[in-house]
Amino acid sequence: MKTQTDLLAFFQEILSNRSDAKALDWLKVQTEKISSETSPNKFFLAFSQASRFFKKENLELNENEKSELSSLVSGFDPSHWDLLQTARTYLLLCFPQEKSSWLAAVNQLFETGDMHEQQALYAALPVMPYPEELLYRAIDGCRTNMTVIFDAIALNNPFPSTYFPEANWNQLVLKSIFMQRPIYRIQGLDSRRNQALADIASDFAHERWAAGRHVMPELWRLVVPFVNDKFMTDLKKVIESEDQLEAEAGILALYQCDFAPAKQLLQARSEEVMAIEYGEITWEKIGKEFQDKRA
Amino acid sequence: MEMYIDPHIHLVSRTTDDYEAMRKAGIVATIEPAFWLGQPRTEVGSFKDYFSTLVGWERFRASQFGIVHYCTIGLNSKEANNVPLAEQVMELLPLYAGKEGVVAIGEIGYDDQTDAEDRFYRLQLELAKEVSLPVLIHTPHRDKKKGTTRSMDVAEEHGMDPYWVVVDHNNEETVKEVLDRGFWAAFTIYPHTKMGSERMVEIVKQYGPERIIVNSAADWGISDPIAVPKTAALMRKMGIPEEHVRLTTYQNALTVFGLSGQMHEDDWLKAPPIDQTKKMGGNSVLRGGQIPRVEGPADRVEN
Repeated sequence: MKTQTDLLAFFQEILSNRSDAKALDWLKVQTEKISSETSPNKFFLAFSQASRFFKKENLELNENEKSELSSLVSGFDPSHWDLLQTARTYLLLCFPQEKSSWLAAVNQLFETGDMHEQQALYAALPVMPYPEELLYRAIDGCRTNMTVIFDAIALNNPFPSTYFPEANWNQLVLKSIFMQRPIYRIQGLDSRRNQALADIASDFAHERWAAGRHVMPELWRLVVPFVNDKFMTDLKKVIESEDQLEAEAGILALYQCDFAPAKQLLQARSEEVMAIEYGEITWEKIGKEFQDKRA
Repeated sequence: MEMYIDPHIHLVSRTTDDYEAMRKAGIVATIEPAFWLGQPRTEVGSFKDYFSTLVGWERFRASQFGIVHYCTIGLNSKEANNVPLAEQVMELLPLYAGKEGVVAIGEIGYDDQTDAEDRFYRLQLELAKEVSLPVLIHTPHRDKKKGTTRSMDVAEEHGMDPYWVVVDHNNEETVKEVLDRGFWAAFTIYPHTKMGSERMVEIVKQYGPERIIVNSAADWGISDPIAVPKTAALMRKMGIPEEHVRLTTYQNALTVFGLSGQMHEDDWLKAPPIDQTKKMGGNSVLRGGQIPRVEGPADRVEN
């Protein structure tokens, strides 16, 4: 369990640089109790009471810390984490990982957690052991209506793209769009695009258009590998949109796809094509701008 | 605008219309004591999901209307009488007692004043001491006077500081002893029956505002979620000094439940502006086509 030891050391360093002595003393006492006791009660209590010692302030990780973390666990990205959830994850990693007792305790935590506790748990999925046993829990978690919990699973988290079956993956992406979440923060989004998801995305756009409503521009990223005559019809409409972000998204989708007629359509859009080639129009920029202005 | 706290209201039973009316009437914070659901539960899992709702979904729902939601956790006296179930519920309580926003152990105490009620009341007083939380006592509706005295006797026997104990559902017959013994005296304003706003005004006139708290206890029965602001309005009309109104409908609740370390004025004074677009998640409390309510910082309640 080299990784677990390394993770613990790393989290400890992050917490030490950002917390007061009182909080760190408390944490030290708790971790000793948690790792020596067989009953999970001390662990449960510490997990809840961490809120009395650690604030919900963003970690503001520096670049060194970020790169060190992703080398520990592939894709692991706590850049949006706060101090409290980091402390809770640290406590979680201190709890002995004997399979049946660990799963029983962690399932109990999931089922009794308040909003911020659940946020911490779902975001920590990539550093938890027994991912296959936690798959159903993660899928079920996506059914939440509380945005912070949904975000903890869906965004900046390698777990869904690594473990979710296609149908559940597609639901996660579609629900992100429905909830207007920034899908550029979904890990593995491009590599797990699929025909069914592209079809669902197009249907969703048609539904919105029928209701006279707008479509989140990032949605068009999902159709890129599958562009055909049908999606071309959609994208032709999108690039004519009066909304600049929507139009840019449509052009970017056309630019990235391999469908020959798309290239012809782009000939009249040399200005935007140049902006794409200079990196001025990207999915991330479209997503960010949409979140800042609209969502 | 005046600010109020309703320190006893069962919001899981209330509609979004109620939330809007409460916010409009000036309620900034609420405390939802764990209670029964109108009929007895038969499985421990029902308690678990109920407690999880109190610290989870209901808190989130309240926040979307600009109201800060706290709760108390406990096994109520009615359901304490199902002893095998009650024993299982007792094992759940430590999981919730330490959570953020849990401001007391309650509502606990007596209903029929049976041996089982007595046993679980005492066990929960010990839990409250262990986790350093105040206690919210539900006094019985039948044989109230004796039941109230007994509740306080037992709390003292277990070494509870009366300043950490709120005795709820008082009336003219019980208030004097509760105040004389140093406990907090809460009053539930019930429409039609029991304690109405008029009687409440008389009590504040007679006893003053110290350690007196007004609440609605609104639930699934006939009850009024804006009973606290309405009573405050009547107090003002009847010439009760403004400071007494503020203490009984806002500050006293904050003082005693604030002993938990889980309730701070900043929670609502410095709350982020309500923005249902950020929180709605497409389908949480808003339905398709509804226009989200967005308010700027200037719309916030100012001290």
